[in-house]
Amino acid sequence: MARPISTGRWRRFLAAIGIAAPLLAPCPGAAGDDPSSAGHRHHEAAPADGGAGAGLDERLGARIPLDIAFRDEGGRPVRLAELVTGPTIILPVYYRCTNVCNFLQNGMAAVIPEIKRKPAEEYRVLSISFDETETPELAFRYKKIYLTAINAPFPEDGWRFLTGDASSIRRLTDTAGYRFQRKGQDFIHPVASFVIARDGTIVRYLHGTDFLPKDVTLALLEAKEGTVGKTVRTVVGYCFTFDPKQKTYVFNLLRVSATVVILAAGSFLAFLVLTGRKGQRARGGS
Amino acid sequence: MKQAERTRPAALGGFWGDTGKTGIGAWLLSTDHKRIGLLYFWSVLGFFLGGVVLGLVLRLELMAPGRTIMGPQAYNALFTVHGVVMIFLFIIPGIPGAFGNLIMPIQIGARDVAFPRLNLLSWWLYAAGAAIILLSLVTGGGPPDTGWTFYLPFSGRTATNVSLAVFGVFIVGFSSILTGINFVTTIHRLRAEGMSWGRLPLFVWSLYATAWVQILATPILGITLVLIIAERVLGVGLFDPGRGGDPLMYQHLFWIYSHPAVYIMVLPAMGVVSEIIPVFARKPIFGYKMIAFSSLAIAAAGSLVWGHHMFTSGMSDTAVLVFSFLTFIVAIPSAIKVFNWVSTLYRGSISLDPPMLFALSFILLFSIGGLAGLILGAAATDVHVHDTYFVVGHFHYVMFGGAGFAFFAAMHYWLPKFYGRMYARRPAVIAWALMFVGFNILYFTMKVLGMRGMPRRYYDYLPEFAGLNLASTIGSWILALGLAVMLVNLFRGLWKGEPVTGANPWGGATLEWTVPTPPPTENFAEEPVVTHGPYDFRGKGTP
Repeated sequence: MARPISTGRWRRFLAAIGIAAPLLAPCPGAAGDDPSSAGHRHHEAAPADGGAGAGLDERLGARIPLDIAFRDEGGRPVRLAELVTGPTIILPVYYRCTNVCNFLQNGMAAVIPEIKRKPAEEYRVLSISFDETETPELAFRYKKIYLTAINAPFPEDGWRFLTGDASSIRRLTDTAGYRFQRKGQDFIHPVASFVIARDGTIVRYLHGTDFLPKDVTLALLEAKEGTVGKTVRTVVGYCFTFDPKQKTYVFNLLRVSATVVILAAGSFLAFLVLTGRKGQRARGGS
Repeated sequence: MKQAERTRPAALGGFWGDTGKTGIGAWLLSTDHKRIGLLYFWSVLGFFLGGVVLGLVLRLELMAPGRTIMGPQAYNALFTVHGVVMIFLFIIPGIPGAFGNLIMPIQIGARDVAFPRLNLLSWWLYAAGAAIILLSLVTGGGPPDTGWTFYLPFSGRTATNVSLAVFGVFIVGFSSILTGINFVTTIHRLRAEGMSWGRLPLFVWSLYATAWVQILATPILGITLVLIIAERVLGVGLFDPGRGGDPLMYQHLFWIYSHPAVYIMVLPAMGVVSEIIPVFARKPIFGYKMIAFSSLAIAAAGSLVWGHHMFTSGMSDTAVLVFSFLTFIVAIPSAIKVFNWVSTLYRGSISLDPPMLFALSFILLFSIGGLAGLILGAAATDVHVHDTYFVVGHFHYVMFGGAGFAFFAAMHYWLPKFYGRMYARRPAVIAWALMFVGFNILYFTMKVLGMRGMPRRYYDYLPEFAGLNLASTIGSWILALGLAVMLVNLFRGLWKGEPVTGANPWGGATLEWTVPTPPPTENFAEEPVVTHGPYDFRGKGTP
């Protein structure tokens, strides 16, 4: 049955029907349309809960410093400049993650055979752990898992698995606008990856755990040419549950108005049919 | 100016001058259905031309891969505005508002519509809504970038001026409802003596079916648009999953109106074609009753198929199955019409005058578009071509190739009657040929591109799509050239062409061809009595 609705909500809702003035008010956050400017944000007003905690602020056009040092799967120190020799896909993950990081990397493993570019030569994938406690040994284990998951010949150098210290990690994620939060053993973090050009410029963010070959190919192409593309698939990373009971008032509104429309139209038709042609009546009367 | 004064159609009399009223007020405040029809005509034509320019610019951007003349944000805004203008300000009000108003009352033997003042109010609401939509382009956060479908949750969050644009569409919706009420009442109550339901011209039947869709479906659009504004301004969280709402609910509400709306767009076009084919084939229409009935069947069945826009949205498989089945049902009355038109042509004495050429191309283009619609209506194939350029190609075939070409056919068929002057035939045929060729190059390539995987609504594409995109853009120029030739020739003709001698230049059998050219304000000197059907051409001569 219908759950009682707070009167405040009702009032806000009814007020919506009468509004006119706010329509003309300029909206905040109307950014320019030049995607090449550093720090370009997606053309979207900030959501109410944005700002704190985990999240993603797209910084298209920002440049990742290539002198950041990590350790590779063999424990050797390596600077990003050595690995970013062309278009590079960066997957921010932590290897012990029991949830979406696996899906994200599995998604990458699944799309790799469909990308018609030469790995290691024309592009490279980097998984980078944002957990500073993780070790190269762990990274090596996961490298084996995901290279096997590709299920196609793939050069070892085409997908590298890095770990690093806290400050290196922060420099990377802060530049990319990628905000994560430690919660006990685990992290709260957005599910997103990004593609950078040879000079470290972020050209595109890829959202969600499933990659479309065309999205990745297009991003790599843009990275090669150094153009910055606007993210188009931004409205995907939701996991939501919809509670119809909570929205009973919407359904009631629809039900009532549909009934009114049908009754009004029905009686209108009945009236027209019953009264007949105007001429007939006039002639009948005279 | 003096020269223009002398050659104005007013010099030819009829409703242009017989009331003695002149000046702008005689138009903007007139309750004469013919003047209101022409007001509609010029306004929808203006928006159509604006939409054409936007379309050409979009095609120019897609001429080559990468950024050609604009960036992604400008592209998103432009395709949204192109869609909103073409759909809400051109096709939906186009044929009913312009030609429905001009022709329908005369065709049923009435002096005017049932509620002339309401009719004027409809146009004013249309004009006000249009003005608000135009205002939304230059105020606030700039033109909306959501696509004409205003899908939530994005339209609830984008910083562009969605609220105002949506409010404008809301107002235009009222205009549509009032026109529907007016037409239904007029057709029920103001038919002349002898004008039984079985003698109604098929254009009137199609307007009747359309009017019911306008009355029943448009209020849903109104409610939905109010809910978007509630979502944006008050953050009520009806549709945004981030606030606990359901985005699928929005898609349902939107398409409950917007799918029937494509029948608001195409049914009157079918009515126009049903008028023109028999006149230029010199034969009574084949299957009158079935064509009339199929208009009602399309209106009814077309109201139950909205879910086919949502096959990939995650709704239940049962719903997908049911909506897919219902979609196939709608194909039946549409096919009935096509087969009946073709049967009318069989062994007819066909004259290929400009109205007929446009009507014949309607049949071909609408059939191509309609059959592609079945590919989209079958859930299995839809999954592959959903949101690709194939959909854009399909939609333009049925809407532009269908409703658009019928609008041009109606212009060539009926406008000389109201302006009292005839356009030149040869340039009109050349224009038609250019448009037909340009159209197919422009939109058929889109279908192929979509089949090959090019997504729609992106300002950029992969390099392998470059060749066909270039061809498509070139097609758009040919089409635009044809359009320019057509309009220049038509309007030159209407202002300066040969005066139309007699009431019936095409040899039509419906009532509008019995009144003087141009028709007087009261339409009929005395109330007509109808003694024969609308396609009984005995004694009418040849066009």
